Amino acid sequence: MTNKRKWGTAALSVLLATSLAACGGGNEATNGASPSPGSGNSGGDSKPVTLTMWGGVPAEAGPQAVVDAWNAENPDVQVKYERFVNDDAGNLKLDTALATNQNIDLYVTYNLPVLVKRVEAGNALDLNTYGDYNIDEKMGEDAKAWKVKDSYYGMPTKKNVSFVWLNKNALDEAGLPVPPLDWNMGDLQKYAKALTKEKRFGYVMDMSAYNSIFDGTNAGSGYTKTDGSSNLDDPNVKKAYETLYNMQHTDKSMPTLGEQLTSKMPTDAAFLKGEAAMLGAGEFVFRSANNLKDFPHDFQIAFAMIPKVSADQSNFKYPGGLGDVISINPKSENKDKAWEFLKWYADGGMKPLAAGGRIPASKDADIGAALDTLLGSNKEGYDVKSLEEVVFGKFPTYTVPLSQQVVDARREEYEKYFTQSQSIEDTLKNTVKRHNDFVKNSK
Amino acid sequence: MNWNRKQQLTGYLFILPNMIGVILFFVIPALFSLGIMFTNYKYTSPNIEFTGLDNFSRLFQDPIFYQSLENTAIFLAAVPISIALAFFVALALNQNVYLKNMLRTMYFLPYITSGVAVSFVWMLLFQPSQGIINNTLRSIGIANPPGWLSTTDTSMFAIDIIWIWFLLGYNMIIYLAALQEVPQEMLEAARIDGASRWRTVVSVIFPLVSPSTFLLLITGLISSMKTFGMIQAVTQGGPGNSTTILSMYVYQNAFRYYEMGYASAISWVLFAIIFIITMIQWVGQKKWVHY
Repeated sequence: MTNKRKWGTAALSVLLATSLAACGGGNEATNGASPSPGSGNSGGDSKPVTLTMWGGVPAEAGPQAVVDAWNAENPDVQVKYERFVNDDAGNLKLDTALATNQNIDLYVTYNLPVLVKRVEAGNALDLNTYGDYNIDEKMGEDAKAWKVKDSYYGMPTKKNVSFVWLNKNALDEAGLPVPPLDWNMGDLQKYAKALTKEKRFGYVMDMSAYNSIFDGTNAGSGYTKTDGSSNLDDPNVKKAYETLYNMQHTDKSMPTLGEQLTSKMPTDAAFLKGEAAMLGAGEFVFRSANNLKDFPHDFQIAFAMIPKVSADQSNFKYPGGLGDVISINPKSENKDKAWEFLKWYADGGMKPLAAGGRIPASKDADIGAALDTLLGSNKEGYDVKSLEEVVFGKFPTYTVPLSQQVVDARREEYEKYFTQSQSIEDTLKNTVKRHNDFVKNSK
Repeated sequence: MNWNRKQQLTGYLFILPNMIGVILFFVIPALFSLGIMFTNYKYTSPNIEFTGLDNFSRLFQDPIFYQSLENTAIFLAAVPISIALAFFVALALNQNVYLKNMLRTMYFLPYITSGVAVSFVWMLLFQPSQGIINNTLRSIGIANPPGWLSTTDTSMFAIDIIWIWFLLGYNMIIYLAALQEVPQEMLEAARIDGASRWRTVVSVIFPLVSPSTFLLLITGLISSMKTFGMIQAVTQGGPGNSTTILSMYVYQNAFRYYEMGYASAISWVLFAIIFIITMIQWVGQKKWVHY
């Protein structure tokens, strides 16, 4: 009967990876996860070793320049960069490669729940076993958020910065000053309304920035209440939802979420083309903003913080912290060499990545040089004062500790709210319920 | 070894290459998933515990599972609609109409075009504020055209429209082939008996092509059940969960959350549904399919 065969193809994709995982499990048992100094290929004159590093940034956007610089200086340790796309399929590919021992020495993780999974699977080396590099001291307070089981299984290397990009010319035209650092969502709404005109939205927001506002509130007031139940319905979260809703449906000063989703709106392009006066996003937009060939624009760009929700909110935290967490595969044959490369990378080797907005986190990296790379030949294009205050400022930040399931559940529920098919009360009620259910089920 | 045994052995040798693939990539994983659906196995996690029917009790309390069942049902409605449309298009194109060959090609094009590319074109057409569809609707006086993919109430129907259009070409080609097989003498006899055009279609042509209808229904339902790429490209199951069909929910749990145990449970439920639907059709066909 044909239905069995047909079904087979469907089931195949689900099952293929699981059977591979089973093979990987066997390897894990035989390979101890603890590094020993002799395990690396430490013979001085032996033939050159090749390290393989997997990262999510396209090779041509900096990583290739990084490894080229290293390879030129270290003929006996050559590094090869391989790109994986940082989405579900890409991370699955990386996890499968790790589980089946495909000779990966170093790899980059971009969010905490994924790192936790990799640590649990025994695929990340405890970097505290090396005593010669103090991550806390080098990377600062923000690094702590990346500790798993009270230790570093990956080195955070870059500063994450989320902020609002401003079209300074549009602001001047409307007679608005660059907003103060502690502005709030009420101010944002007023700004957006004043900046909206024919064929121009006052504000657009990258999908990643949607979460920032809600996370900023919960990171301050707690994701759970004291009794352990979900706090995703914090009054300030509600207020943030409602303000964005009004901006979309009443003021029409920003695109509705439904429209943004279905047109897969490239928000950075919309901002740089002048179709939006303000853009809620992050440092990753520098890659486009510095590219005057594909994104020609003649206005100056200023910067503002992600607004907190209400003026009297004292514990709002700013999205940011550190990112690009690089781990060493415990099964690597060249762990010590990989560690040498990693230290070099974090302390400034990563500089070519700054052109895409990746600012080194290490205090020993030359921030001035990184800044020059970041701004490239387009220095006049930026308002330096707000750039220094916002992009290089010091603020209480957070790293999102929620599991992917909960982040998704929250997004699915607020999508229903912003597309007007669910009331704010039901949205918060369902979000909290799904958060609580998840916590219960994962016990 | 006698001649008969030798013959059998040769036969097995011939199917061996294929069988290795089937066993390795289908039979073993299928049995494996049958086992892990009773565990809390997570991909990459070293811990694996037998949890009995926990995955199923979780499944039957999972509102998103029910929502995806409903979405799947709405999605499957596209199959009979597309088959009915294809039947009439094929009828029309089977006669001597102008530009017959060009029209046939045009209807068939979607089927041979990359599904993802086509999905993106549809997204542009459906764009709520500037898309061609809504601009046309507004220009003919409809002030508030539907939001199509952008609202949870309409998104599944928008997906259905894409799917109907996508299936149409293939269904039409199968019907065209079947219509060529309809014996001219039967149509002539009907004409001589004074049957109207409509009566001929209902009482002569439709019963004669019923094996094709049955084939299209069964293969269409099965392939729709496991559709994934088109929806993933267009909406990723959103907004909310409004376009998450069962096969997508399996993918989400398995490859986004690495919940292999739970995903296996859902996929076996999906299998049961496909199996039951196919069985019902197999039994039901005796009443209306004429070979």
